[in-house]
Amino acid sequence: MNEYVLRTNQVTKTFKAHTALDKVSMSIRKGAIYGFIGQNGAGKSTLIRMITGLAFPTKGSIELFGSSEEQALIEARKRIGSIIESPALFPHMSASENLEANRILRGIPGKECVPRMLEQVGLQGVGNKKAKNFSLGMKQRLGLAIALLGNPEFLILDEPTNGLDPMGVVEMRELLKRLNRELGITILISSHILSELHLMATHYGIIHQGQLLEQLTAKELDEKCQQYLLIKVDNPEKAAAVIRREFATSDFEVMPDGSLKLYSQTEQPGVVSSALFSAGLTIEKFIPTGEDLESYFTKRIGGAVHA
Amino acid sequence: MLNLIQVEFFKLRKNRSFWVLLFTLAAISLLYPLMYYFDRQSNGTPQFTGFEFLTTFLSSNAYVLKFGVAVLAGFFICNEYSTGVMKTIASSGHTRGRLFLAKLLVFAVGAMALALVFPIVSTIEVSLLSGFGTLPEGVSSLFLPRAFGLTLLYTAGYAAIGALFTVILTDSGKTISFLVIFFIMIDMALAGIGSKVEFVQTLYDHSIFKLVADIGKPSIESGDWPALLLVPLLTFIGCGLLGILAFRRKEIK
Repeated sequence: MNEYVLRTNQVTKTFKAHTALDKVSMSIRKGAIYGFIGQNGAGKSTLIRMITGLAFPTKGSIELFGSSEEQALIEARKRIGSIIESPALFPHMSASENLEANRILRGIPGKECVPRMLEQVGLQGVGNKKAKNFSLGMKQRLGLAIALLGNPEFLILDEPTNGLDPMGVVEMRELLKRLNRELGITILISSHILSELHLMATHYGIIHQGQLLEQLTAKELDEKCQQYLLIKVDNPEKAAAVIRREFATSDFEVMPDGSLKLYSQTEQPGVVSSALFSAGLTIEKFIPTGEDLESYFTKRIGGAVHA
Repeated sequence: MLNLIQVEFFKLRKNRSFWVLLFTLAAISLLYPLMYYFDRQSNGTPQFTGFEFLTTFLSSNAYVLKFGVAVLAGFFICNEYSTGVMKTIASSGHTRGRLFLAKLLVFAVGAMALALVFPIVSTIEVSLLSGFGTLPEGVSSLFLPRAFGLTLLYTAGYAAIGALFTVILTDSGKTISFLVIFFIMIDMALAGIGSKVEFVQTLYDHSIFKLVADIGKPSIESGDWPALLLVPLLTFIGCGLLGILAFRRKEIK
């Protein structure tokens, strides 16, 4: 049995003089929730469009479920559900009719799946409402219902939480985690909300200017995210002197707001707080913390950016 | 393949533009003969019989045919690019060739339905008002099925041209405008160039753009039949194949 749902081999895509993707080799294991991170224009959607067969690589190859031959790739796409860039809906059709059209397209027998899918994404009761009258969040849910038709083994979601309210974001996350856990669906998800991605992804891929900079597991990310003690005291200069003297380290920085980030001694916060207290400092804030996905991503691509 | 055709029929059935066009054409087809009827009644001119009306106005139906193809190409096919539905279709795990073929077949059926509205509705109405009349000498009793059959065949040819341009243009507005202008201008262009270049004249004489005018002829010479049948058929096949080739290479945004 093939352990990879997707593997791309040195995939390159050029548009005239512009290289949108440069030798991207990505692999997604069966059962993973793969968070695909990159700025606007980094190449996320271009790669997703090639995986789903909407665009073609200039060089390199794509392998889905172990198949890379053209005809087998087309056949393999029957096992994929996707939302690419925005949910694709017939605006003049109701939610049920949209699902029905996609059910026929995919050759799924029986109409029972239509109300079941509506219920699964929380759209029961609005099946007869036209898609054009839906809010963006409802459109996202309907798009997900369409993607889930036919029980796909691989779900590709490009910004699925766009337009969802906070509760909707939580519900979407829980639904995706449940689909992954209970049905074993592999998920490739690109999102601008990195904190949200951090709560569900088991693997990450960071793409920047068409190049896949890094692929790592959630565990590896946690290990790489630098831990530190965030300290706020009444006298930062004195605190800095105490740290230098007591712990013989200068591995810290004083932030513009007067707080300190101490990157060493993270395993013994009690000792640090005692030393500061003994030096007569008033401790206003003392939080053992670490980099999150957003700061790691920012650091990895080399600057403050919007994902 | 069957499910692809089924889904295209499902979409055609739910396509509001198709029904608006169909009912508008039906209304015009009812009103148009009535204008003649009342005009002739007040003038004391003998009324058109159903047969006379059909033979007189069948050539004008070519405009309806071309307009129907252009509008339906824009609203039935190109809309799927703007709504993003084409992305779902193209990534559904079917070959591009089959997807295009299913779309072309159902699009052609929709265009055929539009092309038949005027001749059928108006002929029935005039026949109810003034009778169908008798067929003149030399006109085959198969005139009606022949005229309707050729209308269907030529509509399919025009539909294949329309479908080919939807792949290239993808935008509804551009497609409708382009096809309307193209279908109007191509006659003039080919006839104009043909008057100077013999090859172009031969090409024009054997194109659906010229032969479509022969659909309503009361009688057709037996020697004209091969061209009359083969040209729309080959246009359908040729443009269909070109459409498949273009759609296979098309990157869908």
